[in-house]
Amino acid sequence: MSPTLQRLRALIVKEFGQIRRDRRLVMSLIVPPVLQLTLFGFALSATVSNLRLGVVDESQTPESRELVATLTQSRSFRLGGYYPTADHLGTAISEAKLDAGVVIPYQYARDLQRGRTTTVQFLLNATNANTATIGQAYAEGVLANYNATLRRAGVTASVEDLASGPARRRAEVHLMPAFLYNPGLVDSWFVATGVFGLLLILNSSLISSAAMVRERETGTIEQLLMSPASTGEIIVAKIAPLFVLLCLMMLLAVAVLKAVFRVPFHGSLLFVLFGGVLCILSGISLGTVIATLSRSAQQAQLTAFFINPPLSSLSGALNPVEAMPAWLQPLTVLNPIHHFATIVRGSMLKGTGLATLWPNVLALLIFTLVLVLLSIWRFRKQLS
Amino acid sequence: MLPLVLLVLLSAGLSLRVDDLPIVVQDFSASPASREFVDAFGTSRSLRVVAWPVNGPPEDALRAGVARAVLIIPAHFARDIARGIDTAVQLLVDASDANTAKLTAGYAGQITRAYNQRAATDERPRAGVHAAIRLWYNPGLSSKKFYGPGIFVLGISMFPPLLAALAMARESEQKTILQVYVSSISAHEFLLGKILAFTAVALAECVLMLIALFTYFELRFAGDPTPFIAATLLYAFCVASFGTMVGGTIPSQVGAMQAVALGGFLLVFLLSGLIFPVENIPAALRWISNFIWGRYYIEIVRDALLQGGGWPAVWPKVAIIAIIGAIFYTVAWRGMRRMQLES
Repeated sequence: MSPTLQRLRALIVKEFGQIRRDRRLVMSLIVPPVLQLTLFGFALSATVSNLRLGVVDESQTPESRELVATLTQSRSFRLGGYYPTADHLGTAISEAKLDAGVVIPYQYARDLQRGRTTTVQFLLNATNANTATIGQAYAEGVLANYNATLRRAGVTASVEDLASGPARRRAEVHLMPAFLYNPGLVDSWFVATGVFGLLLILNSSLISSAAMVRERETGTIEQLLMSPASTGEIIVAKIAPLFVLLCLMMLLAVAVLKAVFRVPFHGSLLFVLFGGVLCILSGISLGTVIATLSRSAQQAQLTAFFINPPLSSLSGALNPVEAMPAWLQPLTVLNPIHHFATIVRGSMLKGTGLATLWPNVLALLIFTLVLVLLSIWRFRKQLS
Repeated sequence: MLPLVLLVLLSAGLSLRVDDLPIVVQDFSASPASREFVDAFGTSRSLRVVAWPVNGPPEDALRAGVARAVLIIPAHFARDIARGIDTAVQLLVDASDANTAKLTAGYAGQITRAYNQRAATDERPRAGVHAAIRLWYNPGLSSKKFYGPGIFVLGISMFPPLLAALAMARESEQKTILQVYVSSISAHEFLLGKILAFTAVALAECVLMLIALFTYFELRFAGDPTPFIAATLLYAFCVASFGTMVGGTIPSQVGAMQAVALGGFLLVFLLSGLIFPVENIPAALRWISNFIWGRYYIEIVRDALLQGGGWPAVWPKVAIIAIIGAIFYTVAWRGMRRMQLES
């Protein structure tokens, strides 16, 4: 065995020993993937269902009760209670006891019987724009279906209408939506795959910065420098054990995705893992850079406090990039998490391969290279 | 400065409602009727038609991420319309992001219904229910107005307790706390000094972030601001006590920082409905949110800035914040008192 390999082996054994004895480090390899993935995946759900709908029924007829039943039978709304007047309903909405309200006018049933168009008022608490938009579409959809059934009933009821009907009747366009890649519209698939990327980069950087800075804090870095090992060997020995452990963490996270969230794996798993390896490498490098910039573990952690929020919020990991303000959207191109999330979703959910995802893979490769080189440069500078 | 940057960044990273979604149209009918229908999509503000070769498989547009949905108009579209037969068009939606998929399908449904209605108006009016939908409190459906208050609360729940915890842990780490123990300062005096200082920090941060809320997020007080002011004073005290309590219990700065990050960030961020409705959290976890102080404050802030319900709507929440703050203070005080030498 050449002396280089021998030294490397000794250093790696030393690193493993250090990691094993650091309880917090071992914990942060196991707890975050399980806890963060499940907590984020389940808690960050934007599902809009069971909106509490208050009703003011001034008509008090079978027709109006049928409308209320139609609205509240859908999974989108549930009956939040009846109110005597529109004012009471308004107060209930402003006190956040209701999410939506419908006011059925006095002449509702009469208008329908006479074949006139009648208007019901629909109030939505639009504080949350996303919920309101989806709720509005639900309400309109339910009413459109209700109208269609009314019309069919009307045509059979009136012979007169039937005679003159078809010729005059204008054809309608029916929209048939089909939801590809996620027909059950499971929210957690999007969030969990995004958090997967966040986890790889942020956790890698956290763990590596902690491991790097500890040597400096305890002052043992000088001893390392005095040993015959070259800086290159020290760096490789520092990174290799962390890399192996973080790869195991990645496999654990993949298992959680599969077992807890039942995310489908349509594409190649190896492809995703390759992207994950790149993410881990850039995370480790990022952590190393942070560690070289700070004197103590506490300072390193505070620095991470400054770097992590922009890195995670401008990644599109938890929300679509298009929802960001236009002036911030271009910044996502500079974010490795964004590219990894695109790769994971493309590959796992849609079954896409390298043919369409190569720009993201290339970008991720470039980031990794730049970060690795930067960290080696910073580390060497610090050692010399 | 950091809270302001965080405010803008996080609101960008959390907003879910999307306008101007790219959609690809495959028009096999290629007739005046179908083009009129496509125009209805092209002119809407919510969807944007992007070019895609007619002969290419439509799923490729979704795979490549060029479009969020594909609208397929069959060859018999114009013929059906001319004959007065109802006709179906297909919309393929990329549902890998379920929420955006729902928005896309909702927008497309609205455009189709509007198209049908416009086509029908020249005929004799028909019986039917027409919904006049009013969007209260946020008629422009601006996401900023919803997330602004949420991140405002997150900022106040995170930084002041972090600083307070670090300050307390530093006293134990550097053993200066022993000097306090042997001095004649009582636990109340020492704690209140610490807590009131960081309450002031929290309030200063609060003022700074309010300026951002009023300018960048375009919010105004919707009604009586007094419940908001009262709740803010109490909440600042509550988070400062939380930080002091954590810092007092964990005598290491790194450990205290992690504990505050867990309590201040993870719990408040995930379990208090800052971003996503609490009702969506699985029931097994949801009960925890009843104990999270941020949950009550966010409801007060939203009420003050959007709904304007005033005291009748929020007084129980103000009281709960005061109670939770008092609990934090008591726990911190008991810890201090035990350690103090008997005189």
